[in-house]
Amino acid sequence: MTRPSPFSVRGRCALMVMRDEREISIVRRQLSRLGMTISEHDPAEPPPPNQAADVILMDADSIPIKSDHATLWKGNVPIIALIGTETPSRLKWLLDLRPASFLIKPLRSAGLYTALVVAFDSAQRRGDEAAHIEKLEDRVRSRRVVFAAVLQIMRGLDISEKDAFTLIRQTAMRHRTTIEVLSAEIIAAGGMPNRPRSA
Amino acid sequence: MTKPSIPLGLVFSQSGPYAMMAGEMRKSALMAVEEINQSDEFDFTFTPHLRDPAGVVTGYHTACADLIREEHVGHIVGCYTSASRKQVIPIVERTERLLWHPARYEGFESSDNVIYVGAAPNQHAVPLVRHMLDHISTDVFCIGSNYIWTWEMNRVIREIVTSAGGRILAERLLELGETAVDHIVKEVINRKPPAVFNTLVGESSYAFMRALHAAATRAGLSIPMLSCSLCEPELKLIGSAASVGCITSSAYFESIEGVENRSFVARWKARHGADSSLSVDGQSTYVCVMLLARAIRRAGSADVGDVRRAAANHRYDSPQGPVWVDPDNNHCFLTPRLARSAPGCQFNIFWEADAPERPDPYLSNLDLTAIGTRPEKSNDAITKRSTHLRIVK
Repeated sequence: MTRPSPFSVRGRCALMVMRDEREISIVRRQLSRLGMTISEHDPAEPPPPNQAADVILMDADSIPIKSDHATLWKGNVPIIALIGTETPSRLKWLLDLRPASFLIKPLRSAGLYTALVVAFDSAQRRGDEAAHIEKLEDRVRSRRVVFAAVLQIMRGLDISEKDAFTLIRQTAMRHRTTIEVLSAEIIAAGGMPNRPRSA
Repeated sequence: MTKPSIPLGLVFSQSGPYAMMAGEMRKSALMAVEEINQSDEFDFTFTPHLRDPAGVVTGYHTACADLIREEHVGHIVGCYTSASRKQVIPIVERTERLLWHPARYEGFESSDNVIYVGAAPNQHAVPLVRHMLDHISTDVFCIGSNYIWTWEMNRVIREIVTSAGGRILAERLLELGETAVDHIVKEVINRKPPAVFNTLVGESSYAFMRALHAAATRAGLSIPMLSCSLCEPELKLIGSAASVGCITSSAYFESIEGVENRSFVARWKARHGADSSLSVDGQSTYVCVMLLARAIRRAGSADVGDVRRAAANHRYDSPQGPVWVDPDNNHCFLTPRLARSAPGCQFNIFWEADAPERPDPYLSNLDLTAIGTRPEKSNDAITKRSTHLRIVK
């Protein structure tokens, strides 16, 4: 699978959730230079139901902390927070949105590209990490199954735990499957399944 | 020989939601300018250039850009809200000008191109919360306007109160300008909290105080209220009965004893009538112009860099007492005070720090571990640099 490099921003879509016309024009000009497509959303309105954007530029000062829709922005689209007020109450609200990157106001053209690259990169890392964690969690969940399969082979073949596990591991490799999947098959079959060797 | 004239920008909204306070500030600025222009102590005069952003936040940027480009001002006195100040900061930083900001605010800012003359949170909120914990209650019901001032005040209150083992009983917010307060008044009356911390601003606050007073009187209740922003002209707007008894933290009250303040109040009343009242923000605006004039005199120039250096640590015996700029963060040493609003739309001061307190805009000296660990708490337990306290009334 080829993945877009965080450095290539051309063709990606940015959603500007901003209020200040002067800053909107700075961001719009710079995003256009970078070849990105731009859409805008009024910060006073709740987030659009289908966010097609690749990145959200959000003026953190323009959304009230206690408003109902503030946390609805939280999602998978990376957020670049535009920060004016550095009070802890505002920053705490911001941290809850898990911004991927930030810029300090007043905005200028410099810095926006860095913020975009950091946002895309950290979103990608976040995605990778989430997938990795999910895989690990799957493994943890199937430990019980693997353990039961090892026991079954130990009893059936009267071999040690170490040998039983080695046999399962080698068989899984030969069958080009995972230890977890083979273990489930061992339990279902009541012993090592007769499985044709994978091509 | 006529004295050289220095252009001075004054940016105050004459309409919009806080026009009343901004009007008081504008009057004080003009009074200071007039006194300086007539004084032999200064070998220059100010030419004031007024701008009115009408309470529109983006108007502040336009007003200051215009003052800098058209009137060539190096110094601007003005802004009331943090939102307006943040509009102005980019332009004063880019053009190396100085904004002299009179109003207290929630802190967490320190621009080289702003002189913050209003109180920082260690000078307004912290002493008031301490007083509440020591003398009223550790549990409090918070009500405020839904914007940055309340959000940050509530955070500071929560942090200090919970460190002391107290509880925030509720946190209720009203939109700016909202005057439908009955549901919250009803809740307060039903729950009978031992204290109400009010960070509402403007009409919302007046409506709440009137309604709560009426409801509490009917119910035969007395619920202490605390505020970091109430001032004398507002007491009049709230009304003589409902405005009484609010414990208020401020660096300035019209009732401050002392020659400078008595003379200042007399000059003010001579200009604006015996019925007029001073306010903390009005007085602070006067102090802004005076600090600026004295720094220009000391520097021998209105150049921004020279004035900034000259203003640093240059003590001014102002109506509120000694004030000087801390060059570490461009905020001012001020004397925190606590008072209770009294009949006659005045404040009875019952506590003040015995020396001006160093500004701590990031509350980096707030030592929460000192709270709740000492049976007899005092303010200097939580602000390391705090001074000894004394009761003045």
